[in-house]
Amino acid sequence: MIGMRRGTLERKEAIFGWKLIAPTVIIISMLILYPVVYNIYISFFRVSLNPQVPDQFVGLRNYVRLLIDSRFWRSFGITIIFTLLTVFGSIILGLGVALLMNRKFFGRGIVRALILLPYVTPLISLVFAWRFIFLPLNGPLVQFLASLHLMNPGTDVINNPNNAFLVVSVFNIWRNFPFVYLMTLATLQSIPNTLYESAEIDGASRWKQFTSITLPELYFVLASVALLRGIWNFYKFDEVYLLSKFAGTLPIYIYDTAFTGIPRQGVAASAATILFVIMMVLITLYVKKVLKW
Amino acid sequence: MWKKSFLVFALVTLIVGAIFAQSITFWTTEVESNRMQRIQALATIFQAQTGIKVNVVPVEENALFTRIIASKAAGTLPDIMEAGIEPFLLLGSEGLMDTQLNAEVINYFGDIYAGVKRLLSAGNGKYYGIPFHAWVQGIWYHKNWFDSKNLGAPTTWYNILEAAKELNDPAKGVYGLVLPKKADAYTEQIFTEIALANGARPFDNKGNVAFNSPQMIEVFRFYKTLGKYSMPGFTTVLDALNGYLSGRAAMIFYSTYIMDDIAVEEVQRKRIHSFDPQLVKNTGFANKMMNIRTTSYGQVVALGILESSKNKSDATKFAEFLMTGNNYIYWLHMAPGGMNPTRRSIATNPKFLDNAVLKRYGAAKIANIIAALDNVERFDFYKGKVVTKMAKLSSNFVIGKAINLMFANNWTPEQTAEWAQKEAERVLKGQ
Repeated sequence: MIGMRRGTLERKEAIFGWKLIAPTVIIISMLILYPVVYNIYISFFRVSLNPQVPDQFVGLRNYVRLLIDSRFWRSFGITIIFTLLTVFGSIILGLGVALLMNRKFFGRGIVRALILLPYVTPLISLVFAWRFIFLPLNGPLVQFLASLHLMNPGTDVINNPNNAFLVVSVFNIWRNFPFVYLMTLATLQSIPNTLYESAEIDGASRWKQFTSITLPELYFVLASVALLRGIWNFYKFDEVYLLSKFAGTLPIYIYDTAFTGIPRQGVAASAATILFVIMMVLITLYVKKVLKW
Repeated sequence: MWKKSFLVFALVTLIVGAIFAQSITFWTTEVESNRMQRIQALATIFQAQTGIKVNVVPVEENALFTRIIASKAAGTLPDIMEAGIEPFLLLGSEGLMDTQLNAEVINYFGDIYAGVKRLLSAGNGKYYGIPFHAWVQGIWYHKNWFDSKNLGAPTTWYNILEAAKELNDPAKGVYGLVLPKKADAYTEQIFTEIALANGARPFDNKGNVAFNSPQMIEVFRFYKTLGKYSMPGFTTVLDALNGYLSGRAAMIFYSTYIMDDIAVEEVQRKRIHSFDPQLVKNTGFANKMMNIRTTSYGQVVALGILESSKNKSDATKFAEFLMTGNNYIYWLHMAPGGMNPTRRSIATNPKFLDNAVLKRYGAAKIANIIAALDNVERFDFYKGKVVTKMAKLSSNFVIGKAINLMFANNWTPEQTAEWAQKEAERVLKGQ
């Protein structure tokens, strides 16, 4: 009798819960699930640009074409290196700055706010600002470095195709370290001071304190941040494309395939699908092994 | 009583209007807000005259394909659009343009320059688009500097190189020219003119990629030599414009769009914060180039009715409306000098010449510029045939990338040509 009633209550609860999340589920299905499914669908087709010519089913041909394309694999490699480099770079920089900002000093509030600027400023204005300060002859940074005899004022750093990867990576690290910094600083502030005090009494050095207290406390935050940044940077398109045509990461490869010349939507869709599968596998592994969920 | 009848009348008009309301969608690549205002005004006049509503949609030329693809999937392709030649050739080659109807509009006017309409030919008297307005490219140069050093007008490879050497003075911050070195469309435009003057083309008579031909290698060599006398950096179109206006470059390659920058004080001040009232007088324009043959380069912006349009007759009416009399002149005056008429009768129309910028140059000079339109040559048009393959190379920036890499890596002309050859073959094979 009692058990039954609890059963209905639980059911009611469950139904109520579903009602509450229904709007989210519906919106996510429309905005995320539908495009994903549609993307997988068109990856099996030769998509025609002409509305009067129907799309042609080609089975796995798009996938085969991609997997034997050396440019695809090259872009894939570049993307992996780009992701590793920028994720580690921004974590190390963000962590360092967070440690500094965790100390008390005069004007800390202002500095803390300033550090967030790269992350909160609209991307396009940042790209233009970078282009401007690096302008050969007239760029302020170039003039400054030239006056110190550190560089030739005629050097064009940003537009040199050989610098593409470096410029894009440095820009990404610089732009995203505040995100890491923000997450880390919040956690740093919640580490009880007593831990450090007792460590000091036990005679632990600064470095020992860092590796035995700070890092373990930060482990899950840093691991989550690395996951998020990893996903975002793996798919990073906007800033890479705005800064250089030569960076050659996979999102650029997909864009070129899908939108330049005669667009090859089916091939681009299959590239996106392959990425999607790879990312899902990597994320699952990461969540299980590193985040230990 | 009259109030009631007015209400009834208004209601009837509304209902009838709603039933018979026709509308067409027009995509334009003139996205700047002042241009959009003019186009919107023309659309309003058109609606008042014909009852046909025009939805004007601004589309960045670079985003055109992205939009086409999305619209195709959503079933919202435009009825008519305005864009440069390249997208029309690409879309036309995929069967998206109503080539028959476009030809009918061209024939309806009867006075469209042969030199511009052939560039959009789809064969058999059909056309991928209707030539709407056009610009010519050439070298704009400080004529007074040339005169003081007794240099010939930069219309030949020899003269260009001599002047660049002679006028280059980096110690004073003055350079022989601003040569495009970035991987973009501007670089390709300039390279095209230089190459055509040497009889070099990316495709041979059989349609094979020919970047490694001896003529083409010579073009890369000349381009690289010119680069020595150019402003430092991987310069592009804005560097050229500002460099010329501020007197830091003796020559630049530019289209006739520069004419208001040179002539109009407020436009010039926006660019370089100062104004040289003598600049119009002291500026020369070389609208042709020669090494082993003479050539001119230009771009045609076209109107095109799409095959998928469900309202082709209204779209045709709108195309005809835009290219007729005062409407046409109102459109062209959006960018005096930059937008030149493709109809002979408009080019000589006093109303067209009645414009502050055009007047400063004088009717003779304007006529001279427009005359060059008849001789415009391009990589995507050869021996009476449109080369649609070229548009694929252009959209992948093959030439721009080759130039960019040549300067960045100090490649020899032969290495550069070889790279361009391989890249072009790769791009065409992938399509």
